[in-house]
Amino acid sequence: MSGADHLPLRVRETEMISPLLKRFVFEAADGGELPPAGAGAHLRLTLEGEGRRWKNAYSIVSAPADRSHLSIIVRRVSPSRGGSAFLHEAVHPGAVVAAHEPGNLFPMSHIARKHLMVSGGIGLTPFLSYLEAIEATGADFELRHFCRDEEIPIFERILSGFDAGRITIHPASAPFDLSQALASQPLGTHLYTCGPEALMGLVLAAARDHGWPASKLHSESFGGAHAGGLPFTAILKKSGLKVAVRDDQTLLEAIEEAGLEPDCLCRGGACGVCLTSVLEGEPDHRDHFLEGAESASNRSIMICVSRAKTQNIVLDL
Amino acid sequence: MNQRFKPAETFRRDFTFRNSDEAVLRFPFPFPEDSYMYSVNIEPHTPGGPTAAFQAAFDVDEHYVAECAERAIVLEEDPGRCKVLPHMMAAQWDTLELIMESFARDYPQDFSLTKEGTNWVWENRPLGIKQSFVFGDAKTLPCEPFEYITRQAQGDFTLQDQREDNLFVDGGMVTTQADWSLEFNIGMTFHEWHGPVPLAHQLGVFDRALKFLMRLQYGQPVRRLNWTMTINPRLDTSPENYPLWGTDRTTVTPENVAEKVFLRVELQTLFRLPRSNAILFGIRCYLLSVADIARVEKWGKRLHRVLLDLPTELQDYKGLTRYRQTVVDYLAPLDDGAPLPSGIAPGQTAL
Amino acid sequence: MPVSGIVSRPTYEALAIDPAGRRHLFVADHAFEPDPGVFAALPSEAPVELWRALAEARVGSGAGPRANALARDFRSTTQLLDALAYRLERERVGLRLYAVGLESFVWDVARLARGLGMDSSEYRLSHVGSNRRRVYCVHCRAITENVATNVVACSGCGANLFVRDHFSRRLAAFMGFQIDAEAPGEVPPIEEAFP
Repeated sequence: MSGADHLPLRVRETEMISPLLKRFVFEAADGGELPPAGAGAHLRLTLEGEGRRWKNAYSIVSAPADRSHLSIIVRRVSPSRGGSAFLHEAVHPGAVVAAHEPGNLFPMSHIARKHLMVSGGIGLTPFLSYLEAIEATGADFELRHFCRDEEIPIFERILSGFDAGRITIHPASAPFDLSQALASQPLGTHLYTCGPEALMGLVLAAARDHGWPASKLHSESFGGAHAGGLPFTAILKKSGLKVAVRDDQTLLEAIEEAGLEPDCLCRGGACGVCLTSVLEGEPDHRDHFLEGAESASNRSIMICVSRAKTQNIVLDL
Repeated sequence: MNQRFKPAETFRRDFTFRNSDEAVLRFPFPFPEDSYMYSVNIEPHTPGGPTAAFQAAFDVDEHYVAECAERAIVLEEDPGRCKVLPHMMAAQWDTLELIMESFARDYPQDFSLTKEGTNWVWENRPLGIKQSFVFGDAKTLPCEPFEYITRQAQGDFTLQDQREDNLFVDGGMVTTQADWSLEFNIGMTFHEWHGPVPLAHQLGVFDRALKFLMRLQYGQPVRRLNWTMTINPRLDTSPENYPLWGTDRTTVTPENVAEKVFLRVELQTLFRLPRSNAILFGIRCYLLSVADIARVEKWGKRLHRVLLDLPTELQDYKGLTRYRQTVVDYLAPLDDGAPLPSGIAPGQTAL
Repeated sequence: MPVSGIVSRPTYEALAIDPAGRRHLFVADHAFEPDPGVFAALPSEAPVELWRALAEARVGSGAGPRANALARDFRSTTQLLDALAYRLERERVGLRLYAVGLESFVWDVARLARGLGMDSSEYRLSHVGSNRRRVYCVHCRAITENVATNVVACSGCGANLFVRDHFSRRLAAFMGFQIDAEAPGEVPPIEEAFP
């Protein structure tokens, strides 16, 4: 249930923003309203290529108030046999793709007195929806965007609809220095950063150095919204089954696909109902239920979210 | 669905509230086992479930019109029972959108919502309301959007802002509560809010529940049941009015216990709101007298067993100390001790 | 009805500096003299200020707690809180605020700081002095100050309020509810509970 893609989307139009950046505008395949999405939300698409399947997450760049369409900007990663190349090459207007309902792991603060955004490259995308939301509420903001020197005109164009007086585009060739911006923000400013890990690392370290508390620092590594997993095999001792767990499904889903119905409730790693004994192998714990020693002993696993670090894991099921 | 509303019922003074047979059988009875202890008993809030109370996102039953009238009385006397901190405006609109769309979808004969862009028309036929307004523009409604829509829904609601790895109770409409104060609690963190609940902290229940709720996803609401007991079918058992209802607890006798004591169940629902990323917490209150519970064989026996060995801390916390034994004595002759199937379904289709 | 073990009651750590801050402002409701050891964790050039409310009409500026510290004395906590609001309006991220004094004072400071954009990781509260409580009447919303006993007559409605351990950081007050609501006149022995 929790992993289902129940939102079919039709590509209304596409636009090449640059040789590497392509905007996709989706509408509901049934012509109705789309679910609302907040600033910072992402859309997870399931892309079915020939013999390949990708579940990729992209920041939604359209205005949160608008339910007629959802837009994303996809950077073609090169060289690529991945989902972004598939989107660029094989997904055209009229095509229908499966999506999961929008989720948000990078929401804006509602108590911030000012929003300071620092992005790098395609990491700008969540801030496009922030800017739409800010425009609607009139909140104070500042945006610092870092990109390759030759891409400056492209990002200037993308940002052309917003208050240029509060937006600075920094060429990547110039030395990185945010000291002035970090030292001069009013109390109650929240800092958000999205982009390459190296840039985010610099931004967060500089902010801490200027006395920013962790509670006011927010970051999202793009594409990392849904960390997947490597495939592995679960051997179910009691039922004598061998279950192959694919990279795009949970252990619980694979066990259910094999015809078993283990007890479970929240399917989110919190309630403890699906706790299962591990007889052999090492679990990759991803739950919020097991604590300290219980987790370290590796003798139990929450099968709804956790996986295996070893190729095989033997469960008491 | 054929809704029959009972507009004349009261929840104060003469207490004319009654449950029909249908309402008895759809009651969300909270005890799946013969004993009770806190747990993170959270499950997906999907339509369906052991009784009809679980059919809709927001349940509307025969008491709808009367409960909305009761809410209006409480707010007239004490407008502070609805309060939302200023940074929660996006969550207010999220709530209005969610409840209006759910009502119109689940009860099309009673409610409808028409949209042309941001120009919306809301029709609430049981309450005789037709309202045109601009979504996102609070000036076009008679009051703020959260108050506007929760005045037209059964049960209490709170809004939780998520920040600093925590949830803050930053708004609410609280007129049918089991002895907690919005005015006192507003702005609290999850653990501060639940501070007075005994035993559960030590069990780690709130740590786990908080971790779970922080990850609650849009489109995947969850629910749980909570319970207490109330003397008379009084919805407003607020701490504010404790001096008015506190003496009720001393009025229970073996003669009146079945009619006077009510099991009070909260069907608690939690929704991630899409634009604000806040959480809407619905606390829908159902009341069923001990007499009506005893009409369902399984429920009468089970309630007897649960109350019999309820830990003292919980008796005190839930305010049952003065009359628990009287309820147990009333139910004891009805309980033959035979094993009961687990689960909360009534196990019978007629009374 | 009285329930103990309520975890909403704040606990306080000994006063310690947060070396991650760039500037440090101490506010106290009495003639507070910080132990110089408190500053050991700071680089010598870090700006430190000490503001004190002395409950005294003839205050002037005293000497700072260390060479580069600024000290400012106020006549009352009201005057101090007023100046603090003005100051925080103009402050920048990087400030750390430390409040030292009665529970009601330190939470008044916290409420002010939160309203101006600081959160709990940017201020530290240290409770010193009496344990007397500010009590909020859940029935009439009146505040009763300086409560030392387990039961107190509400300053607003006169009800016999039992002082619960339940604490609201927003109101900077403990909850009081009428102890004899179920059985009028049945009031437990009144004793000093918060000296």
